[in-house]
Amino acid sequence: MDVDIKKVNEIISRYDQSEESLLAILQDFQREFHYVPEEGMKRLSDVLYVPESKIYAMGTFYKTLSLEPRGKHTVKVCMGTACHLKGAGQILEAIERELGVKRNHTTVDKRYTIESVNCVGACAMAPVVVVNENYYGHMRPSKIMDVLNKYK
Amino acid sequence: MEAIQSFEQLEQYRERLKASYNKDLPTVMICFGTGCQANGARDVADAFRHEIEEQGLKVGVDIGFKTTGCHGYCENGPLVVLRPRDILYLRVAPKDVPEIVEKSIKQGEIIERLAYKDVNTKEIIAQYHTIPFYAHQKRIALRNIGNIDPASIEDYLLHDGYKGLAKALTLDPDAIISEVEASGLRGRGGGGFPTGSKWRSCKAVPSDVHYVMCNGDEGDPGAFMDRSIMEGDPHSVIEGMIIGAYAIGASQGYIYVRDEYPLAVKNLLSAIGSARERGFLGRNILGTDFDFDIKISRGGGAFVCGESSALMRSLEGKVGEPRAKYIRSVEKGLYDKPSVLNNVETWNNVPEIILKGSKWYAGFGTKGSKGTKVFSLVGKVNNTGLVEVPMGITIRDLVDKIGGGVLGGKAFKAVQTGGPSGGCIPKALADLPIDFDSLTEAGSMMGSGGIIVMDEETCMVDVAKYFIGFLVEESCGKCTPCRDGLPRMLSILTAITEGKGKEGDIDTLEELCEVLSYGALCGLGTSAANPVLSTIKYFREEYDAHILDRKCPAGVCKALITYRIDPDACTGCTLCAKKCPQECISGERKQTHIIDETKCIRCGVCKDVCNFEAVKVE
Amino acid sequence: MEKVTIIIDGREVEGIKDQSVLDVARENGIPIPALCYHPEVSTSGGSCRVCLVEAHQNERMRLVTSCNYPVRAGLEIRTDTDLVRRIRKGVLELLLARVPDSEVIRDMARDYGVGEPRFFKDEGEDNRYKCIACGLCTLVCEEVVGVCAISMLNRSREKAPGTPYHKASNACIGCGACVYVCPTSAISMKDEGDTRTIWGKQFTMIRCSVCGNPYIPDAQVDWIVKTTGKDKAFFEKCPDHR
Repeated sequence: MDVDIKKVNEIISRYDQSEESLLAILQDFQREFHYVPEEGMKRLSDVLYVPESKIYAMGTFYKTLSLEPRGKHTVKVCMGTACHLKGAGQILEAIERELGVKRNHTTVDKRYTIESVNCVGACAMAPVVVVNENYYGHMRPSKIMDVLNKYK
Repeated sequence: MEAIQSFEQLEQYRERLKASYNKDLPTVMICFGTGCQANGARDVADAFRHEIEEQGLKVGVDIGFKTTGCHGYCENGPLVVLRPRDILYLRVAPKDVPEIVEKSIKQGEIIERLAYKDVNTKEIIAQYHTIPFYAHQKRIALRNIGNIDPASIEDYLLHDGYKGLAKALTLDPDAIISEVEASGLRGRGGGGFPTGSKWRSCKAVPSDVHYVMCNGDEGDPGAFMDRSIMEGDPHSVIEGMIIGAYAIGASQGYIYVRDEYPLAVKNLLSAIGSARERGFLGRNILGTDFDFDIKISRGGGAFVCGESSALMRSLEGKVGEPRAKYIRSVEKGLYDKPSVLNNVETWNNVPEIILKGSKWYAGFGTKGSKGTKVFSLVGKVNNTGLVEVPMGITIRDLVDKIGGGVLGGKAFKAVQTGGPSGGCIPKALADLPIDFDSLTEAGSMMGSGGIIVMDEETCMVDVAKYFIGFLVEESCGKCTPCRDGLPRMLSILTAITEGKGKEGDIDTLEELCEVLSYGALCGLGTSAANPVLSTIKYFREEYDAHILDRKCPAGVCKALITYRIDPDACTGCTLCAKKCPQECISGERKQTHIIDETKCIRCGVCKDVCNFEAVKVE
Repeated sequence: MEKVTIIIDGREVEGIKDQSVLDVARENGIPIPALCYHPEVSTSGGSCRVCLVEAHQNERMRLVTSCNYPVRAGLEIRTDTDLVRRIRKGVLELLLARVPDSEVIRDMARDYGVGEPRFFKDEGEDNRYKCIACGLCTLVCEEVVGVCAISMLNRSREKAPGTPYHKASNACIGCGACVYVCPTSAISMKDEGDTRTIWGKQFTMIRCSVCGNPYIPDAQVDWIVKTTGKDKAFFEKCPDHR
């Protein structure tokens, strides 16, 4: 995949050029490109003088970062305790079944990436599904596709 | 606006704000917490703006209008509060807005349809503070949330914001620490370590640099008070940190916030910006020679980063692995410098303690746990949301009086506290006071204050499996007991829930628990046994039912249950048959339907869509 | 350096303040098993948990890893109590279940009465061969060699050392320090003729001008020359013929 190196440089230039900024820059890569591209990490290593292996390790450790391109829409199924008790497992299974991919994977058409996340802090509305940045509370297995179909 | 240069200027400015504030002005306050926004609060706000314009009303003259932080009653959002009459409307939709403006604001009538209706007594209560959910609360940490616009520093100043800081800056740093010690404030993030003595030990370490940090990596599933505070009252956290920094002699602070909380990040950033503009942050704060500033750092979706040493590694731009804390972080913390790390709610209490005094604060709570605590009351309970009560309230009072009892009239079974580090406390201990020490003694812990209510349809083995599964995913993988022990525990628990448990499994689980408790590197691992040990301790018969009888008494564990259609209740509407993803439900229209058990995957869709409660789980 | 006296297994021994308990014990001939710790790597230790001992201090007892627990006055250590043996045994059983092919772990586990672990490989669990994910290889590479070619990747069960993108690393100099330091001999390095293969990368070996044996990768020589300013001619002969 081609990555706009200008954009990479622009994101890096938003922050202090120190190791402390590493995670923030990687997160901005993730937001911009929907993943953390190799080119970005290489450039970051050169600019911040941090070994590439350390940057790559960050990419594999932090769950909000992904080393593979994600789908256009991110579907996060909250797996917090309140959601779990109120049937989040069945919601996740319904999504997996309907979209034909397992959690933490992307649909073939690159439209959706399904993720299970550990509590989005909206427990009073359990079970919760978050699509991109929009929260949907009181979800039910039979209603999930009505929500997902809004995202083309 | 220029920076405020002195205490006198601050008070003059506050007086000017108060003089221009008309507290009798009819005011619409719309909750803009994450929960209400998810339920459509933005559309409601737009509808109000539109209606106000339509009616030719002038904001600030004829009508007040603001968006606020979370009221905690998220389930019933979008929430709208009308001041000064203190009326709370629930589940407000844009179509209700013209009626609210016309009837409630202009004519002072109450719209009963939108008011709170008690599930048990059916009584309609429109007055915000008489609703049972709020009536029993004592709000210190949540003092401003829902009252102020988090984006407005003026609103915070109007509500005595930065008054505690101004007072603190006239005191000797040691006197501040003594005051915090005397208040009995203990860390709200989980450990319950006395805040004042943490500050004192840090200050005592000679160093060119000291740091203060705020842990906003609220990771315990089921807890969201820190999110609510950061979103709804960001200045209170900032003010607390400035006071702490002054007390221990730090000039740089960090707030570490979960990336999953974008609104908290946004509101904190904007609050830091306006605090800097007004001279509460930066050089020569309020004209003194004290300098201090705060940076925000976003977490990366790693639960372990809530652990102090891992959080500091993450702040430094590294993989968030914990390290041995044989040398404490008050001595060698961030960048190996003496550091104080406190949780959001802890920092947020500090300005009130300084302003109103330690005696006042210590007047709430119990002997060992002073003050109030915010709990997120969630799970199988009627009123879910955030509540703040004095420490020492009993589980029963919390669940029944504030929570309005268990959802759907089901039997109360247990509460889970403390997230993955905590445990389950059974109904038999419902009169246990909720404070740091009682919970620990009962085999659980306070954690950050998540209280998850469980009913008869909650399987305790499944709960233990859930938490161990959570921890398997969140373990950093550095030490053997956690990395390799937790997956072994998960396999055993999974086998039990699948009806493949063996005699002796409980003993093996207990042995693994001991290896974790004694052998793991950090708090995540050493406390990971709690969910398993507490459920074995209090609900052993449920484990036995799974292992010996191959039954799940709560009807949760998929391999041990069957879905069946009750012929008496089924109306033959065919809806379940249409929706079944396995196409394994058959039956003629207006005839009883039947599920083919051999094909059923127990996905629950039929039960979900059935309008007649005809689908039963056995 | 401040000297302090501590008690280990009832014996008074002397160490330097903040020195590790393990070092002091070993200096005094008191055996404590350990895997992930290496005295030459200051950041090592604390991960395998085999060296756990009881630390009694200020009327409080807890299990600590002796490899990074600092020696302070008033400390008493017990290395061989029932609790210590029980937890060590548990840790070794977990390690053995993870890497049943490792002779080192097998022998150590046998000393603690673990013959076969009670746990079996889960379905689909990949063969981790002999790696116990202790991370010592990555620490040597960073701290001692100074190239930082490998890091501990992923988290939880998947934690393992590796190169960025799992490709041949530009930073690796083929020195093999990671191989020498690995406590369970889990890292593969092959020397065949003039070629060394390690971490998926091939290196050309320099032959000793006297004995003709290939003995050091050229990339390592370049690195040493670059970082220390040593004369490249020095490396024409192997250590035996210098």
